[in-house]
Amino acid sequence: MTPQPSAPGPPRPLKRKDAPSSSNTAGSTNHNKRRKTQVALDASGPSKRKDAQSFSATTKNARHDKRRQTTKDARAISSQASSKAFKNGELDVDKFVKAREYEIKALEQGMARAKKALAERAFQQVPKELRRRTASHNVKRVPKRLQRRAAREMVEDKTKSDRRKPSRHMRLRIETAKRLRALSAKQRARKDAVVKDQGTTNVQSDQRPVSVKSRKPRVKKNALKDPPPAPAKFRKRQIGKSWLPTHLYHAKRAHMTSPKEPLWRYAVPLTPTMKSYRPTHRASGDRGAVAWDMSYMATVSLAGTEQSLQGLLRALGIGVSPETKQLWETRGQRWSLGTRVWEGWLYCRDSFPLQAIAPATVIWCAENEPTSVLGAVAEEKANVQRKTVRKLLIRVHPSAFHQLWDEVLRLAKVQKPQVMVEDLRFEIGSIEITGPASTEALLGALWPNTSTSCRDWPQGSVEATWSSLAEITNPATLPENVLFGFDIVDPRLHHPPRTIAIPQSTRESALLSTLSKWPCDQTQTSPKLFDRNARLKAARALPSQKAINRRKSFAVPGTYPEPKPSDAQIPILLYATRNLQSRNGGQSRAQGTWNFLLPWKAVLPVWYSIMYYPLSTGGQPRFGGLREKRQIVFEAGVPWFPGDFPGTAAGYAWEVREREKRKEDWAKRPRGKRTEWSSVDLGNGKKGEIGDGWACDWERLLTGMAPPTTGKSAEAAGDPSSKSDSVSPPPKLCHITSAAASSLLSGSSPLHNIDLSTALATVTLDLLVRGVPQTCARIYRLPSSSAIDPTAISLRNSWLALVPTPESRRRGREQKQPFPSRLRRDAPPHVVHRQLAQSLLKPPQAGEDEYPVCPGEEDLIGFVTTGNFNLGEGRGTGIGCILLGRVLDRVREGRDEGMKGRLCVVRNAGQSVGRLARWDIAG
Amino acid sequence: MVRLKHRYLLVNILYPGPVATPRGKDQQTLPDTIQFHKPTSDSLTPQMLMRLIRDGVAELFGDYGVGVVAGSLQVKYFSAATSTAIVRVSRAHYRLVWAALTFATRLPHPLDEACVMQVVRVSGTIRKSEEEAVRRARMGIRKAQSAGTWMWDESTIGQGHGNVGSEGGSVGGAEAGARPGIEDIEDDRSESGDSGD
Repeated sequence: MTPQPSAPGPPRPLKRKDAPSSSNTAGSTNHNKRRKTQVALDASGPSKRKDAQSFSATTKNARHDKRRQTTKDARAISSQASSKAFKNGELDVDKFVKAREYEIKALEQGMARAKKALAERAFQQVPKELRRRTASHNVKRVPKRLQRRAAREMVEDKTKSDRRKPSRHMRLRIETAKRLRALSAKQRARKDAVVKDQGTTNVQSDQRPVSVKSRKPRVKKNALKDPPPAPAKFRKRQIGKSWLPTHLYHAKRAHMTSPKEPLWRYAVPLTPTMKSYRPTHRASGDRGAVAWDMSYMATVSLAGTEQSLQGLLRALGIGVSPETKQLWETRGQRWSLGTRVWEGWLYCRDSFPLQAIAPATVIWCAENEPTSVLGAVAEEKANVQRKTVRKLLIRVHPSAFHQLWDEVLRLAKVQKPQVMVEDLRFEIGSIEITGPASTEALLGALWPNTSTSCRDWPQGSVEATWSSLAEITNPATLPENVLFGFDIVDPRLHHPPRTIAIPQSTRESALLSTLSKWPCDQTQTSPKLFDRNARLKAARALPSQKAINRRKSFAVPGTYPEPKPSDAQIPILLYATRNLQSRNGGQSRAQGTWNFLLPWKAVLPVWYSIMYYPLSTGGQPRFGGLREKRQIVFEAGVPWFPGDFPGTAAGYAWEVREREKRKEDWAKRPRGKRTEWSSVDLGNGKKGEIGDGWACDWERLLTGMAPPTTGKSAEAAGDPSSKSDSVSPPPKLCHITSAAASSLLSGSSPLHNIDLSTALATVTLDLLVRGVPQTCARIYRLPSSSAIDPTAISLRNSWLALVPTPESRRRGREQKQPFPSRLRRDAPPHVVHRQLAQSLLKPPQAGEDEYPVCPGEEDLIGFVTTGNFNLGEGRGTGIGCILLGRVLDRVREGRDEGMKGRLCVVRNAGQSVGRLARWDIAG
Repeated sequence: MVRLKHRYLLVNILYPGPVATPRGKDQQTLPDTIQFHKPTSDSLTPQMLMRLIRDGVAELFGDYGVGVVAGSLQVKYFSAATSTAIVRVSRAHYRLVWAALTFATRLPHPLDEACVMQVVRVSGTIRKSEEEAVRRARMGIRKAQSAGTWMWDESTIGQGHGNVGSEGGSVGGAEAGARPGIEDIEDDRSESGDSGD
């Protein structure tokens, strides 16, 4: 093969081959000829391959070089010649400064340029909450505006696309869908043909058949309601449980309860798939909002005369104690007139303060006649009131619903005249939202209904008041437990929502006067949500998405469709609550919460409107699951029902369920990597965890030390096969609510009927030293000061020595360091001495020999039900339950010594280090 | 994939000696800090700086030193106007380069000026050394401007940030300037403690 000089090719091989050929032209000697052929022969073999190879290689190289050059350019930092830094060859302050300014600018530009030049794929540009797992392989997973770029990058990077062969199951479904589509097309064609035929022959038969009026279903009173029939498509997946109205939304974005283990017969979102611990904390307190679909909360409607309703509520324990008696007098008047809600504990029939069922919300239905005369209730009016039927709603957690239902049903039948009870479980749903932007998001989503096109309501009306609240960043600033009842328009008609105009602070005084006067007390009419017909009408009047879309397409671009008189009016009840017993007393930062009740079918459209509302502070409201709910109440220092109330039936059921789960998790781990409960060192030569390490072992706490079984239970703990003998019956624990517990401890009201050996109270735990309490941690009291045993006394004293003095606390906060910083090598001797003295006087740290051991099992008083690092406090806190009988004498003997009576030791399950803490009765 | 780990040394070239200016009275009016941080001559190129380092390493550590350092040594940034440079070297051997810089007392041949090469920051990314250079430039501006109005005293030393604030006390030439340099180095060592050898 002879080289062809004219052929385009890579420069280097051509040059080599050109050399002999050019020499060839000068003289044609044999020698030269031979040499030429030799060279040509030599070159021919490899050069062919080399040519082809190097061609592609060089194009690649060229691209590579170009890219390399651009990166290099981007990374180069410009610098100044030193001649610029001199003034006529001499040093000068001005030039010196100028040179440095130039350098700063050059470096900063260089940094920016280098960052810009970094290769960033399209899917890396999207914000965290829009990232999807396979976005690098599937263009459809990135936002639309980036899809083209992503597709191009995929081609450039030769990324394999995520197109797989459909699985067997998938193929079956695809085929079925195809067949169905063909079938329906055929049917439609046939129908069209028939209609056309009839149209030519008979005009009248073209009319639609007259709609048959269906018989109204009889309202089931005093009976439990069945879940609504699910669409056929989803029916199999809702056997034994029901979906929330927003199930599809949540199932895509959150971890749900597993299909086999629903929670309270609902498929409940547990936690968002995205990491959200810290974002939730921020959104709930600092910026943004968190919303929950709380439709699983059960609602019971009661209807009857005011007297019998009052009798029923009193029997449930509302307003029977001397402190709360005023609820039935002037203080509770707003509540019974239907402009406030009441939140508190309900008890079994006439058993207050024992046998608590659950915390509940009770809402009275306001009456239509003006209720302006708050104080004076004329005698003749009372007579009329005795006859009129009033309604109220009780809202309770689903775990305690059945217990409450039985109790209410029994009580309703004994009232004279009887009270009608209706189960509204799948008829009324609810949404909860908290955070600084919650009011704003709700205002954007809930537009009060108006008959006229202009959005003007009479001054002081409920709708006008609601619309004027845009500036409020904390629902807790509203009057306590305030209630609104009004109708809203279908939020799909103004979807996607737009950021509302938040009035500037000029109208602040107007808002303040609204808050202080609260005109809704006079203008609230009977909310339609209490009316069954209105609820059903609203649900039926909700148009299909198709109809909504059609109306939207007819609307002028950029505007929402015009309201029509036939539009659905969705009745809602909206109320604001605050966490009363929040940590640190009445700290102003504690956020209130908006709750609203609405027809079950209307939850989904409203939910979407809230979730897509663009907040004025940026972003959108977040959604939360059960874990976020617990996190937020935990950070406020408020116990969560049912988890933190093992003294109630629902709480104990929760504990048993969690116990099983923890046990499974423990048993799943390999032997070497799990806590060996039997070898936990408890100090003083005692070994083995108290009771089951994975449980808040209330049985063990009540029965006390059972010497023969202790070793055995620890043994059995190691063997998962022998464990599931039987779920032991619930111990006779009895929850004592906070008010009763505090009065008991203060000794103001001796409650004789309380069995102190089983009375449980929920407490908050503040650790005085370091450490983070975990769920199931053991709580001990300090040994008694009047103990005979000298070791117990010394143990008590060594624990008391750990109590930080106010002065050391302050210092600790200033330093923020558990250990003093290391000294410099050349520190003067007096500093060294001071540090030495400090280290000698410091209380012993955990792990040192002098650190006190945990008190014995006789001093065990309870367990931590929720414990974690508290982002609000910046340290570990806990919520637990303790047996009141075991701390009563300590509190009484320590009353004159400040907080000493409430000191306790918290030890995490499976660990031997105890931490000094202080308990306080929690709400 | 194995990632190549580098260290970026931020180097300041200081001139402790008296400034060779024909007119002596200017010398008195100029603040010391400006003389100390005076611009380097334009004839010092990054290549010459490279050679200086390489020669220094060769002198101190022989062929071995040159061999291990040569592959990664690079002058990333050199500004003669402010006498600042950023030198890149592999993480395992940055101490050799540091030593060579420390032992350099004069600029290479055609310039032949007495100088001190002070390594003020060792960082794992070029970004951090750039940020440090910006910070130091800002400080330099502050110092030069305030030095124009009044001379340094002890109270102004604390104005700067952390360890570097002490550099303001570099009134007395090389000896005084060397001490803060040592402190800097100590701090740098504690920061980049992962280099482990």
